[in-house]
Amino acid sequence: MSSREGFVPPSAANLGNAASGIQSVKNYGCKYICAQCASTFTLSPKEPVRCKECGHRVLYKARTKRMVQFEAR
Amino acid sequence: MTKAKFSTLEQVDRFQNPPKDKSAYPLLYESVKPHIGSFNALTAGPDGGLLNLAVKEIGSRTIFDSNDSERLGNKLQIRVDSVQISKPYATDKLSAVSTTYPSECRETLSSYRGRLLLKLTWSVNDGKEVSEVRDCGLLPVMVQSNKCNLEGMSPEQLVQHREESDEFGGYFIVNGIEKIIRMLIVPRRNYPMAIVRSSFAKRGASYSHYGVQIRGVRPDQTALTNVLHYLNDGNVTMRFSWRKNEYLVPVIMILRALIETNDREIFDGIVGSDVGNSFLTDRLELLLRTYKHYNLNSQKEALSYLGNKFRVIFNATPDCTDVDVGKEVLRRIVLVHLSNNQDKFRMLLFMIRKLYALVAGDCAPENPDSTQNHEILLGGFLYGMIIKEKIEEYLQSIRGQVQIDINRGYACNFSDQKYMHRVFMRINENIGQKLQYFLSTGNLVSETGLDLQQVSGFTVVAEKINFHRFLAHFRMVHRGAFFATLKTTAVRKLLPESWGFVCPVHTPDGSPCGLLNHLAYKCKVTTEQLDTSRIPELLYQLGVSPTVSAAAISGPNVCCVQLDGRIVGWCSHKQGRIVADTLRFWKVESLEHGIPLELEVGYVPPSQNGQFPGLYLFGGRSRMVRPVKYLPLEKEDMVGPFEQVYMNIAVQPNEIENNVHTHVEFSPTYILSTLANLTPYSDFNQSPRNMYQCQMGKQTMGTPGVALVHRSDNKLYRLQSGQSPIVKAGLYDDFGMDNFPNGTNAVVAVIAYTGYDMDDAMIVNKSTVERGFAYGSMYKTEKIDLSMDRRRGDPITQHYGFGDDTFPDEWREKLDTDGLPFLGGYVEEGDPICAFYDDVLGRTRVKTYHSSEPGYIDEVKMIGDERASAECQVMTIKFRLRRGPIIGDKFSSRHGQKGVCSRKWPQIDMPFSESGMQPDVIINPHAFPSRMTIGMFVESMAGKSGALHGISQDCTPWQFDESDTPLEYFGNQLAKAGYNYYGNEPMYSGVTGEELRADIYIGVVYYQRLRHMVNDKFQVRSTGPVNSLTMQPVKGRKRGGGIRIGEMERDALIGHGTSFLLQDRLLNCSDYTQSSICRQCGSILSTQMSVSRVGSAGDVRCRRCAKRVDSSVLNADELDIWEDGQGNKFVGGNDTTTVGIPFVLKYLDSELNAMGIRMKYDVDPK
Repeated sequence: MSSREGFVPPSAANLGNAASGIQSVKNYGCKYICAQCASTFTLSPKEPVRCKECGHRVLYKARTKRMVQFEAR
Repeated sequence: MTKAKFSTLEQVDRFQNPPKDKSAYPLLYESVKPHIGSFNALTAGPDGGLLNLAVKEIGSRTIFDSNDSERLGNKLQIRVDSVQISKPYATDKLSAVSTTYPSECRETLSSYRGRLLLKLTWSVNDGKEVSEVRDCGLLPVMVQSNKCNLEGMSPEQLVQHREESDEFGGYFIVNGIEKIIRMLIVPRRNYPMAIVRSSFAKRGASYSHYGVQIRGVRPDQTALTNVLHYLNDGNVTMRFSWRKNEYLVPVIMILRALIETNDREIFDGIVGSDVGNSFLTDRLELLLRTYKHYNLNSQKEALSYLGNKFRVIFNATPDCTDVDVGKEVLRRIVLVHLSNNQDKFRMLLFMIRKLYALVAGDCAPENPDSTQNHEILLGGFLYGMIIKEKIEEYLQSIRGQVQIDINRGYACNFSDQKYMHRVFMRINENIGQKLQYFLSTGNLVSETGLDLQQVSGFTVVAEKINFHRFLAHFRMVHRGAFFATLKTTAVRKLLPESWGFVCPVHTPDGSPCGLLNHLAYKCKVTTEQLDTSRIPELLYQLGVSPTVSAAAISGPNVCCVQLDGRIVGWCSHKQGRIVADTLRFWKVESLEHGIPLELEVGYVPPSQNGQFPGLYLFGGRSRMVRPVKYLPLEKEDMVGPFEQVYMNIAVQPNEIENNVHTHVEFSPTYILSTLANLTPYSDFNQSPRNMYQCQMGKQTMGTPGVALVHRSDNKLYRLQSGQSPIVKAGLYDDFGMDNFPNGTNAVVAVIAYTGYDMDDAMIVNKSTVERGFAYGSMYKTEKIDLSMDRRRGDPITQHYGFGDDTFPDEWREKLDTDGLPFLGGYVEEGDPICAFYDDVLGRTRVKTYHSSEPGYIDEVKMIGDERASAECQVMTIKFRLRRGPIIGDKFSSRHGQKGVCSRKWPQIDMPFSESGMQPDVIINPHAFPSRMTIGMFVESMAGKSGALHGISQDCTPWQFDESDTPLEYFGNQLAKAGYNYYGNEPMYSGVTGEELRADIYIGVVYYQRLRHMVNDKFQVRSTGPVNSLTMQPVKGRKRGGGIRIGEMERDALIGHGTSFLLQDRLLNCSDYTQSSICRQCGSILSTQMSVSRVGSAGDVRCRRCAKRVDSSVLNADELDIWEDGQGNKFVGGNDTTTVGIPFVLKYLDSELNAMGIRMKYDVDPK
């Protein structure tokens, strides 16, 4: 969790992209939270559903870091 | 007076730091005690628990390995030695064993089960016994019982295990659903009840409607009912049912078989000293004479006669003699609560005497619908009874399997372990699964019927709509499904005998009214057998003469002393009263006397044709008991419904009379159930309104719980802005109701304003709604199982996530990279909610959102399978649906005053008081006169003054009276705050600013938002799906169907002469079709389109009237020939036209055609 995910301020590198309306596809990765010990980790689709810390069998999907915006009325 | 407090800070602290020692709300745990206590008794107790008693009672099964009728062969005796249930745990291949907690089962939609282990013991030819522990499957286990991993946890630990801080348990978790075995009312055990029932007379030719019935209960809590029937000629037969078949046996035969006896002894035992009673002696003479026909003179003869008749029914093995079988019959059928034949004999004599007394009119029949003669069949005990029966079936199936082997000529060697294992392998050992079936369906699959009158409806879902609903489930007692079918209403009646045990208020209205009751909140149900071992000795000391020395004492002239259905002795009535009073004094005084407090001392005094007198002591399980204050000692006494009838208990201290009352109620509120107690000032309301509130409190959109994240209920309602009521009952805090707020305090004005408050509608202030008044959400959970149609053992073919193929881009937009939706995302109908790659089709597919109401993704859970070996196949997605209050939603105060929101009125147009206050809710004054809910007025005043002074008001019923009125109390409070004494205020119209002509009653009332919302109910259709067979609109809201114009609606339209409307509804908007018809033959089925030809379009022809063109018809004009789709050529049949008909007519015609009936229509004008 070193780098902050979420909004990245436009830098010189991608300023051109922003100006021309190109969206840079960013892979945020899917995080899962163990229902028992609350540790966060990623999981590949082929892996069994198990907490990597405690071995619990229920995992919660973490809330997305992507901006979620609804029509505000 | 004010017990109620807000104690907000304590609340907050308790949420932040749950208690580390014990719960702050012991009453909650007390409420579910009957459930948990009864379940615990299965495996705990001085005698090893009920299940171990049960397997002892089952005994062993004998199997012989010979097919030869001459020779018995080797003898195998097999029995279950002991039963064990383990706590729930899971094993998987990574870690060895892990404890399973209930929250995990709720989330994974699995069952909370422990392992059922039976220790099977067998011996061959009476040799050495061999034992083996058999695993009999996973048995659902009650939460918070002694087999639950949560047992004894402190609130803090419970929170750590993802439970509510006060999870009191008492239910089972089956496939993620919480299930309760509901409490059933059954006849009181071990008490011979005199009954007059017209159905008794239908048993046979000379049967009368008199009977004495006793429901005997074995130590393992299984029951069997014996009934003595009086025959019109004076004879008595005993009836019982065994494996759902009824049997009738002459009672003298049973008496003779029980002990070695003679006619003299039987005569003396029944008649006693009443030799002058010729009614009795005549009948007894006849009774004894008729038995002479059987010519069975000794006990042995009687036993072998009985044994011979019951041999087949009892499945007796050839090595048992008839006498052995006869003894078994007596042991398992006659008065099963007694173990000693001498006791059974005496009890039978007593019952015969009671029967004769009933017939002669010396004693009154007892009311089987009265609480006095009731006890409660508790969930745990019923569960144990079923387990017992399944174990018995298990032993039987072992025997059956061996029999199969013998018949097939397979070499059976009982001493060979291998052979025994072969037998075990071939039978179904999974008892746990059968119990899971019982819990999930509520159906009882039983060979014996368990002495119950119903086979289904034993379990209910413990719905967590709100906390009231959830809690009420555990206090619910049902009279039995059988009684719901009765046409008479006698069983539903509220009887004075139920005072203090069953709540008079808390029962639903409608079909289950009076059958589905709730226990008063202080009523307990005993789950343990009291220690009554010292009582007989004490009774003898008090002057009761033991039975042995008093063979010729009987009848209603002496006081018969019985302890749990066993005759201990006799004494005079005068002495009986002294004994009863002494016992009561001793049991309340201290335990040192050896009399437990919960012993029921039912002294029935002699009376003129009243209940049969005697002293009946009860110390068994399943009895209702309740606390009252014993006046001589000023201490708590526990009273049962049998004794209460003959006791003098004052309701309030001021009505105690000297030498009359022995007890006084601690509080009159003890008669009400938990929910009825929470209704504010219920003593000021008309009684049905309190009933309605009990119902509506349970339908409120409130707070189902706090640990909602860890639940996966199908549907859950939640009130976002719940408040603690300003006006609350004393019990409100004792039950911790503030943890689960159920409504909102609202400023309510009683005024007819704008006309939108007519007829139970209410106007809600629009700004109030915008500030969050009664804002709610609904949570729906959908389970996605990718291996739904995969069979066991098949490889996984559907993998969650996107595949490498091409698929619509918007899927990727709406779903995360793992193919699951974004948390917090918005979904509308048809949006993808889960993507998966299908190996079989080789492409990516999605599951879509199927509700017309948009929602937000609240939670996505991935659920590993039992062993967590493979990739994820099961997930649950929880959707949050916004349910802000809208027009058409239902609200109610706590006084049975429900109403529908008719408008959200702009705040600027709402009336305002002199201080500028504007109401949140406006209701119409017409809601009051006919309903007489004065309690609501009182609440309004109390709430107003509470809000003004910042105090919580106690609304416990029966705290005010005529000399001390609530008006005075709260009026003074209001006056102190500078308001009108009566709660009225001058108000001004919000529209014109003019003062209203009358002062308006305005105050603060706690409002509940009910779960019936228009969004779930509205049904509208112009066009839509139709039934393909009839082309008529389909029914059902879910499918977008219409509402039927039924016969009666049709009648009304005819009555109004609105024929065009009728035509529109029944035809034009239904299945109007244009159909072609042949004018010539009048058929609508034989017309068809001809194939179009060059130069002319196809037209409609009648196939029936047309002539086939083939070699025989040659001279047809080429232009007249038409062709059907198959190339057949015809001429003629062109006299067709189009008519408008209902489509079903075509269907009807086809159906009639199939029966060989042709319909012919005349078409006019031609």
